[in-house]
Amino acid sequence: MSSLTSALPPAQGTGARLARWGLYLILALFAAYYLLPLLLMIATSFKSPEEIRTGSLLSLPRELSLDAWSYAWNRACIGADCRGMAPYFLNSVAIVVPSVVLSTLFGALNGYALTKWRFRGANIVFAMILFGSFLPSQVILLPMARTLGVLGLAGSTGGLVLVHVVYGLAFTTLFFRNYYVSIPDDLVKAATIDGAGFFQIFTKIMLPLSLPILVVTIIWQFTQIWNDFLFGASFAAGGAQPVTVALNNLVNTTTGVKQYNVDMAAAMIAGLPTLVVYVLAGKYFIRGLTAGSVKG
Amino acid sequence: MATLSINNVRKQYGAVEVLKGIDLTLADGEFLVLLGPSGCGKSTLLNMIAGLETISAGEIRIDQRVVNGVHPKDRDIAMVFQSYALYPNMTVARNIGFSLEMRGQSKAERDTAVRRVAKLLQIEHLLDRKPAQLSGGQRQRVAMGRALVRDPKIFLFDEPLSNLDAKLRVDMRTEIKKLHQRLGTTVVYVTHDQIEAMTLASRIAIMKEGVVQQFAPPQEVYERPANMYVAGFIGSPTMNFVRGTLSAEGDRLGVSVGRDRGLFLPLPETPDQAPDQAGHWLGQEVILGIRPEAVTCHDPAAAAGNPALARVSCRVDVLEPTGADTITYIQLNGQEVVARIKPSDRVTEGATADFMIDMARANLFDPKTEQRI
Repeated sequence: MSSLTSALPPAQGTGARLARWGLYLILALFAAYYLLPLLLMIATSFKSPEEIRTGSLLSLPRELSLDAWSYAWNRACIGADCRGMAPYFLNSVAIVVPSVVLSTLFGALNGYALTKWRFRGANIVFAMILFGSFLPSQVILLPMARTLGVLGLAGSTGGLVLVHVVYGLAFTTLFFRNYYVSIPDDLVKAATIDGAGFFQIFTKIMLPLSLPILVVTIIWQFTQIWNDFLFGASFAAGGAQPVTVALNNLVNTTTGVKQYNVDMAAAMIAGLPTLVVYVLAGKYFIRGLTAGSVKG
Repeated sequence: MATLSINNVRKQYGAVEVLKGIDLTLADGEFLVLLGPSGCGKSTLLNMIAGLETISAGEIRIDQRVVNGVHPKDRDIAMVFQSYALYPNMTVARNIGFSLEMRGQSKAERDTAVRRVAKLLQIEHLLDRKPAQLSGGQRQRVAMGRALVRDPKIFLFDEPLSNLDAKLRVDMRTEIKKLHQRLGTTVVYVTHDQIEAMTLASRIAIMKEGVVQQFAPPQEVYERPANMYVAGFIGSPTMNFVRGTLSAEGDRLGVSVGRDRGLFLPLPETPDQAPDQAGHWLGQEVILGIRPEAVTCHDPAAAAGNPALARVSCRVDVLEPTGADTITYIQLNGQEVVARIKPSDRVTEGATADFMIDMARANLFDPKTEQRI
């Protein structure tokens, strides 16, 4: 990143220096604005109920207590079921992993076929798939419920995976199509003459070239599906619900005093995976989004 | 090693006809250059030979076998692309060996074949690199290696040198020619560069708007162009086209050019030698095509022994020395003509000097059809 800033001319004179510090100040304010809720959540999740009642909202915990976390993880009551967030967290993993893998893979295959094996009407097919990414998710609830019923997948994890794969295809296809458009057709021609078939060209040439867009698509799909509430609440039956629905149920299950520390810990548990994915792969995400705009 | 015959091949995209009946036949080991401006259909024809484009009508045979419906990998051809089309994710060695890998050859067989080709092209030290780490010339060699490794019946080249800088282009051109001499494989080579066509080809097919204008050895294309398009496309500076009238003066047949058709340039043929043509064309408008090197400074010694050399007196407009020769723009009785003269010939801009035109090397064209007479 330092190489990026060095490309700018160095600041000169007092005015420029003031402007630079003003810029930093504004950036710091924005960062604080976005980070404060997170800080508040983390701080609260480590406090005891006693401290929450007596202390101020923004103060840091006097002593770190992991009680709220462990309670949220395996003892909190989600409705009548008091096994904590853990089973629902695993539900989410079971939903997200196959959904992300399948929707990414099919999106890549779609993008490859739409750009490198252009058939009559390829543009119309692409336009229709693209249209899918503008569909509000509420619109598909009823037809999808009917479809899942007919397929016998209603209320199952498999059904929810299908919903996420189908809904995500519009986005993944768009990502891969736009990326593959920039890969020269000559590569496919050369490979055809060399004797590679449709799937060999895909696995041996296109996929190895797709790392940047793969990362973008995986992050995008992971975040979308992990954070999904609507489909999870609509299509998953009680025990198969994802962590987002469980979080809602946990917070709304009020018996006696509100345990803010447990709520916050549960919210952190529900939000951590996407946070981790961003921290680990965010660098590639930015690179992938801008890939092709500047040839390296 | 193979023959190639293209019979009345057509290509249509919807209502647009891109190739309008191409007929070309190649003997074993020939080097065919498809030459023409962009959009003339030369690359389309090459892709059809490769099997990357379908054939709308007609047939293509490789070694007498009709390949119209044959998959590219089964045609026993190899292709070098303008963009090189190296697989960016693979090393040079794997790039070269990829076609063998796809054909199920063992690692050991592949390694041997790759080493042999790498040695031939002097790229052994690059085998472990990725294409992104290579220079343009090195990529070009790898692309050729990928084509060579399979020992195909026909090599197809699609403007392989146009992405290289000028000096490297000349070097690689020579290397392609050497390779062809050494391997003797039939080659089809697409280019828009007339020098590449002249230097490499055993025969050139000049194309324009989906039609082959002339299919002949380079020297014949140069000396006896089939029409004014071919004449203008080949040669630099381009051939001079001078409007004139075919006429007879005494027993000599010639072309009268310039103001009032006042300048008579005698042709080497007499009316008796070409009676049919002369009878029809006598008194008609013709276009006289003269290569710049056929117009030189007057040399009494050479002119004396050669009746085909017509002596003219012209005003010199501009001199453009190129080192080897001087390109000279002169006024031939009111029409501008380009001459290629020796630097040692002392002429000055604005002055009048004596030139001679080698009418034995002149071409006559029909001004209406632009075809050679």
